[in-house]
Amino acid sequence: MTAETIIQSLASGLLMGLLYGLIAVGLALIFGLMDVVNFAHGEFLMIAMYATFFLFAYFALDPLLSAPIVAAGLFVFGAVVYLLIVRFAVRAKANTGMVQIFSTFGLAVLMRGVAQYFFTPDYRSIPHSYLGGKTISIAGIYLPQPQLVGALIAIAAFAGLYFFIHRTDFGRALEATREDAGAVALVGIDKNKVFALGWGLGAALVGLAGAVMAIFFYVFPDVGASFATIAYVTVALGGFGSVFGAFAGGIVVGLVEAMTTLILPPSLKTVGIYGVYLLVVFVRPRGLFGSI
Amino acid sequence: MLSVRDVTTAYQGLVAISNVSIDVEKGEIVCVAGANGAGKSTLLKSIAGAERPRAGSVTFDGHRIDGMAQHLITAKGIAYVPENRRLFPRLSVRDNLRLGSYLYRSEANREEPLDFVFKLFPRLSERLEQRAETLSGGEQQMLAIGRALMTRPRLLMLDEPSQGIMPKLVDEIFQAVKKIRDVGMTVLIVEQRMAECLEIADRAYILQTGRVLMQGTAAEISGNKDVRKAYLGL
Repeated sequence: MTAETIIQSLASGLLMGLLYGLIAVGLALIFGLMDVVNFAHGEFLMIAMYATFFLFAYFALDPLLSAPIVAAGLFVFGAVVYLLIVRFAVRAKANTGMVQIFSTFGLAVLMRGVAQYFFTPDYRSIPHSYLGGKTISIAGIYLPQPQLVGALIAIAAFAGLYFFIHRTDFGRALEATREDAGAVALVGIDKNKVFALGWGLGAALVGLAGAVMAIFFYVFPDVGASFATIAYVTVALGGFGSVFGAFAGGIVVGLVEAMTTLILPPSLKTVGIYGVYLLVVFVRPRGLFGSI
Repeated sequence: MLSVRDVTTAYQGLVAISNVSIDVEKGEIVCVAGANGAGKSTLLKSIAGAERPRAGSVTFDGHRIDGMAQHLITAKGIAYVPENRRLFPRLSVRDNLRLGSYLYRSEANREEPLDFVFKLFPRLSERLEQRAETLSGGEQQMLAIGRALMTRPRLLMLDEPSQGIMPKLVDEIFQAVKKIRDVGMTVLIVEQRMAECLEIADRAYILQTGRVLMQGTAAEISGNKDVRKAYLGL
């Protein structure tokens, strides 16, 4: 193993990690806002990837161009999921936690089934796009362009999110609702509106990630499952509910995954991630940036 | 301005107030006094929309507001400072105040109430970047009142503003209530400390076990023999 291969794999690990962060941030955002884990998060990613695929297949729209459309579509979808399902699940009079888990878990099963029925279990891919299959060489390191652009989009999305949360009135309302959802009515804020927009925003972010993923990954009904598991680990690593913990957690996951593939056979590449996850759970259960 | 008619509110079948009627006229300070558990907080919650009355009506400026969502009642011009204040603990004093003006988001609309809040409670302006949870009890009460004033209310409702506060600051807060009235706002205040409350109030109601026991001008109430004996310890 040369120094070059190590740097090479760490660099691609970093890029993938930033994408993992972008996939996971919506999960962290929603959990932080209302203590609800969205078990259909992977399926949100899946429909974003299908949307990107069909926009390419029917309108010849490159994933980079359809990304904003997909994000906007997912925003609406996320808000609707809150208004039609989660809003009622959190009002359950008994076993609220269980009701929440099963409502989003049930949604995940439903979405997967619907995708299998309408889109068939076939693996689809976008054969040619602006970035697909291209690499760029920086100082002797080859980086896949889709992942590089994806990582840049992830950084831009996190920067935008930071600005939004800390500099805008709506972001402040989001923070206030996180702090005490029962108190925002005192200043005239409708918490249901904030929750709906929070779900919209969380879904839009995973939508953005899905559009990028569709460039270099197969699209199929179960595609969300493996990425969702990584997203849960990312969020737990970063600290449940911490949006910027998801950013850091994603980078850690990406780097650990890359280092694991250097040492272990590819089929064991996730062992490193879950090993680190177990370690964090034992040593620092609240995650790197968690405040609970 | 505010008219509460025969309101009954219950929690899980347990009646907390029954057939309570009170009136608040524009520009008044009205004090609702009573012992612990008399139903004072429930009365304010029923007006603010935090609890839905089971029967009766609440009318504000000629409009029925009972049954309306709490945030819409805030938007109508009733600011409510609950007993436990419900600040946003990990947000700064500045952000807490800014959130108060969420309904009027242009900077021009923010300046005037903010100036007023700083004039009332100068120490808030020295602590703008501090997290709300790091403030003392008295300062937190000031911030809660400040945040409520930022919603530019016509009626301000305070639930036990003196609770858990050192005596020196209690006086400061009661003086602030007078100043708030002097700029044209109406104040409905619920207190266990009847003596201090009657001092600044125009009129008062005494609640006992969920019913209005007595009502009158502040002078009448504090002059009443039974009241002096039972509540004022004189």
